Amino acid sequence: MTNHYIDIRNADQILIIGSNAAENHPVSFRYVTQAQEQGATLIHVDPRFNRTSAKADIFVQMRSGTDIAFMGGMILHILEDMRKNPQNYNIEYLVQYTNAAYIVNGADVPGEDGLFSGWDPNAGSYDRTSWRYSDMGTPGTEPRLLSPFWSGWAKRNSPFAEEAWEELDDHCVLRLMWEHYKRYDKETVSRITGVSVAQLERVYAEYAKSGAVGKAGTIMYSMGTTQHTYGSQNVRIYAIVQLLLANIGVAGGGVNALRGTSNVQGACDNGLLFHIMPGYIGVPRDVDDDLDAYLTRISPATINPAAGLPTDHSFNWWSFNDNMRRYVVSQLKAWWPEQDPNVSFQYLPKAKAGVDYSHIPIIEEINAGKIKGLWLFGQNPVVGGPSVNFARQAMAKLDWMLFVDIWMNETGEFWKRPGVDPTTINTEVFLLPAAASYEKEGSITNSGRWAQWRYKSVEPPGEPDKRGRSDLRIVTELLAKLKELYEADADAPNRDAILNLDWDFTPPGEEVPNWTYPSADAVAREIAGWALEDYTAVFAGTTRDYKKGESIDTFFHLDDQGRTASGEWLFCGSYTTAEGNKLKKRINVDESGVGLYSDWSWCWPVNRRIIYNRAAVDLDGVPWDKRHPVVAWKDGAWVGDVIDGGGAPINLAPAGAKRVPFIMLPEGVGRLWGYGLADGPVPEMYEPWESPIDNIMSKQQFNPVAYITPEENNPRGTVDKYPYVATTYRCTEHWQTGTMTRSLPWLNELMPEMYVEIGDDLAGELGIAPGDKVKVESARGEIAAVAVVTKRLRRLVIDRKPVHTVGILWQWGYTGRNKGDSGNLLTPHVGDANTTIPESKTFLCNVRRA
Amino acid sequence: MGKGVLVDLTKCIGCRACQVACKQWNELPVEDTKVQGDTIANPPGLSGKTYTTLAFKEVEHDGQFHWVFAKNQCMHCQYAGCKTACLVGAFDKTEFGAIVYEKNKCIGCRYCQMACPFGVPAYEWWSRTPWIQKCTFCADLQSNGLTPACISTCPTDALLFGERDDMIKEGKQRIAANPDKYVNHIYGEKEVGGTAWMYLSAVPFEEVGFYPMREEPVTHNVDNAMFAVPFGLAVVATAMTGCYFIFKRRRKLAQAKSRSGEGK
Repeated sequence: MTNHYIDIRNADQILIIGSNAAENHPVSFRYVTQAQEQGATLIHVDPRFNRTSAKADIFVQMRSGTDIAFMGGMILHILEDMRKNPQNYNIEYLVQYTNAAYIVNGADVPGEDGLFSGWDPNAGSYDRTSWRYSDMGTPGTEPRLLSPFWSGWAKRNSPFAEEAWEELDDHCVLRLMWEHYKRYDKETVSRITGVSVAQLERVYAEYAKSGAVGKAGTIMYSMGTTQHTYGSQNVRIYAIVQLLLANIGVAGGGVNALRGTSNVQGACDNGLLFHIMPGYIGVPRDVDDDLDAYLTRISPATINPAAGLPTDHSFNWWSFNDNMRRYVVSQLKAWWPEQDPNVSFQYLPKAKAGVDYSHIPIIEEINAGKIKGLWLFGQNPVVGGPSVNFARQAMAKLDWMLFVDIWMNETGEFWKRPGVDPTTINTEVFLLPAAASYEKEGSITNSGRWAQWRYKSVEPPGEPDKRGRSDLRIVTELLAKLKELYEADADAPNRDAILNLDWDFTPPGEEVPNWTYPSADAVAREIAGWALEDYTAVFAGTTRDYKKGESIDTFFHLDDQGRTASGEWLFCGSYTTAEGNKLKKRINVDESGVGLYSDWSWCWPVNRRIIYNRAAVDLDGVPWDKRHPVVAWKDGAWVGDVIDGGGAPINLAPAGAKRVPFIMLPEGVGRLWGYGLADGPVPEMYEPWESPIDNIMSKQQFNPVAYITPEENNPRGTVDKYPYVATTYRCTEHWQTGTMTRSLPWLNELMPEMYVEIGDDLAGELGIAPGDKVKVESARGEIAAVAVVTKRLRRLVIDRKPVHTVGILWQWGYTGRNKGDSGNLLTPHVGDANTTIPESKTFLCNVRRA
Repeated sequence: MGKGVLVDLTKCIGCRACQVACKQWNELPVEDTKVQGDTIANPPGLSGKTYTTLAFKEVEHDGQFHWVFAKNQCMHCQYAGCKTACLVGAFDKTEFGAIVYEKNKCIGCRYCQMACPFGVPAYEWWSRTPWIQKCTFCADLQSNGLTPACISTCPTDALLFGERDDMIKEGKQRIAANPDKYVNHIYGEKEVGGTAWMYLSAVPFEEVGFYPMREEPVTHNVDNAMFAVPFGLAVVATAMTGCYFIFKRRRKLAQAKSRSGEGK
């Protein structure tokens, strides 16, 4: 989340799209409800009327997978309305804080072929050069847009949109946005999504109200947005809308990802994703010969604001003050404090060019026999992953599996699943019982980036010497053994990396390194960082003397010469000599008046509760929203939340220090037009990999850069055999793959069986009565389920043809007290072009009575 | 006047944390359930193992589709039929307004089940030593100054707990502030003489399982009947006393007559 849960209550408009927040994030609804009580409008967009829709002021039922058409239509509505009624929008924000006025190299928006410029049909990828700015040092700008009195705004009554837009440079970002999204008129969007033109008009007009100066709209999303072959672009299009409406950085605004499970945010922050190190630093690749080459590659060059703008300085935080070097060197020093960072850099594994290390390719590699062993910590990929028949078969190719969980689950028991003879499977499975969250100490970071400490309250069940152990203890004991084995083997690969690795998490007060009971608090201290020797930090003309072993106050003070250690720069300052472990803070007082609760736990970066908050004020430092000021410049200082960047507001700062607000981007302004994603500078509507219709928008049926597992392991269904759109989801009563809940009687009582939801119109056509047993089939598998027949799933009319949606739960399996088929037996093995997240939210299926 | 709960159906998100919290605090056994097919609600209704359930009602109202989540449990009547019907005084009303049941006094007649206008008290049919079961309004928690389990677990404050009078005021305020949103009625304010649990709704109450009830308490007829008893007794006693004096006088006269006859 750019903002945080409590902040939702500050919103005037709430758009929940691709999320069933009421069921999967019930506590978020505490704040949605509070906002509604204060007059906020809740809009819910979903293929299915669910518990979130039941609370919405406006519910929009759209065909699954058509978010980009729906939101593209909203962009066109906003652009046109903005031109006619600029007084209803924050034009200053748009022009000063986004790249609306920037000039792009020479990119073309897609025509009938549905492809952007730079497409290489042989490589199946884009050359992104044409998407970049005309000048990547100081881009050109469209001067007409910089004037508050652009005559285009004046032509508000002109019915001919072209006339106004064509006054702008044809490579100006805002002009390109219009050129691209003018094809997304409401009639076309209605044909694609199945939403009526009247309903589109109503919902676009309602959400666009949040674009007014001083108003805020929030977008809440989750897996319904991301689990598509264009999932990253779905998120991008929300960001674009929020930038157009000046909703980023303000209270009650933002693009807010509701994370799918407890501590997903903490896992991402601390590098559990395959493409980033802790602190969102890109992983080393095989092209990085040494530390310097790596740092050069990952440190972006600064793009200064173009001439003619009142700003003249882009922070470009990653490269500012040599930050990337400070962070990477300190990280290497946290792990290998005795080694020269140039040496320890070589200990790190390097990602190979052209190899994808995400979930779908891992399963493929296991199936191909290339991956021999698998560690699973609290995971259940043969229920939670896509196309699990394939995944279940692939598991048998492993030599061994290390399974760490608090319950047995389907992956741990794949070798004795129904229909399989265990004697034919040679995989050796090791089970390590884990401690549940209340049985161990540590932090959990919520979606709003708040890292909150939890204490151990009970011992794990069982005999004292056979109890489940915390993940930290399991890894520590494993490492102790590894060090022993590596010590004995002089030829072991990358031996120095293991032998030199520092792993001293001895609890405070103990002197001897403790390899059995490591302290989570000591881990938190290492993540934050300390001085390895007496060291004087210099920053912005001030100095700070650190004694050896002292915690570092802030990441400004991290050293690029290796005198400080910090496991993750973003958490630097979360553990200080003066205040100790700030994740333990529990002061339930809100001094901000906008629900920041800054002394409750700690949040990255630097306890900033709303990121990009520099965009919450105008060029003089006055909050756009006087009712909910996040930050404000008063008497020569910032008050409120921790300001993003620092320094005076743009109009008051000296020349050369007039800073643009989006400090993490090299250009410092929000990107309406981007050049970072693999599949386009702006989102374009493609159909899902399996779709009931031909793409209405272009000849390109599905995302040309999507990741698709070859046909032999991933059959593709067609609409003649599989006429219905299937979408998968969770219910509130079971958690994820059900490992933790399908063995709890009080929850099983509420949701006792695997079921699918079928509209009463489709059920009538197929002769399915409520409670009937049905079979649902896709090209990849078949499941049995009980039919829940409901009015909440209705037939949509898509391009004059009726299209039915079938709702499928995926949380069941063959382990535990409550058994059933997982919806993921049906899902395809295809993934997003940028992240390879599987497309489990839209595919084709057929249904019949069992 | 006791405690009350204002259930705002427009704020309930149907998460059923209340159902689980109830089972957990009261350590209630699990029911063997099946997916019902026309609803995701479960267990199907209140029972000896289940003190509260959520009904999921698909309702068309004013051209709008609603999915309403309606919590059911003992309403804790101001004038409780169950308490009045009980022959042995196994039911009691606490100072907080909770209607509680003392199984040691119960003789198993199940008159309470017949007497409840909401069909709440349930019987442990599966047990060899069955007792009546129903929501206790967490009287144990309340007597320690705490909030009932279902209410404290509600993430959206759809269940508001406080003095009953204050809950009525709050309900009226909400209706007045949003007359288009709510049906102009607090269910339970006056039904059967008033209940501790009261409801606000956006759709007519009978659509979501809350049926119209008379305002007079179900104990009304009993009261009428019992009211006549002292007068009846007084009349009978007076008549009998009169008869006594009449008969006594007659006897005296008869005796005097015979005595004078003897004297002739």
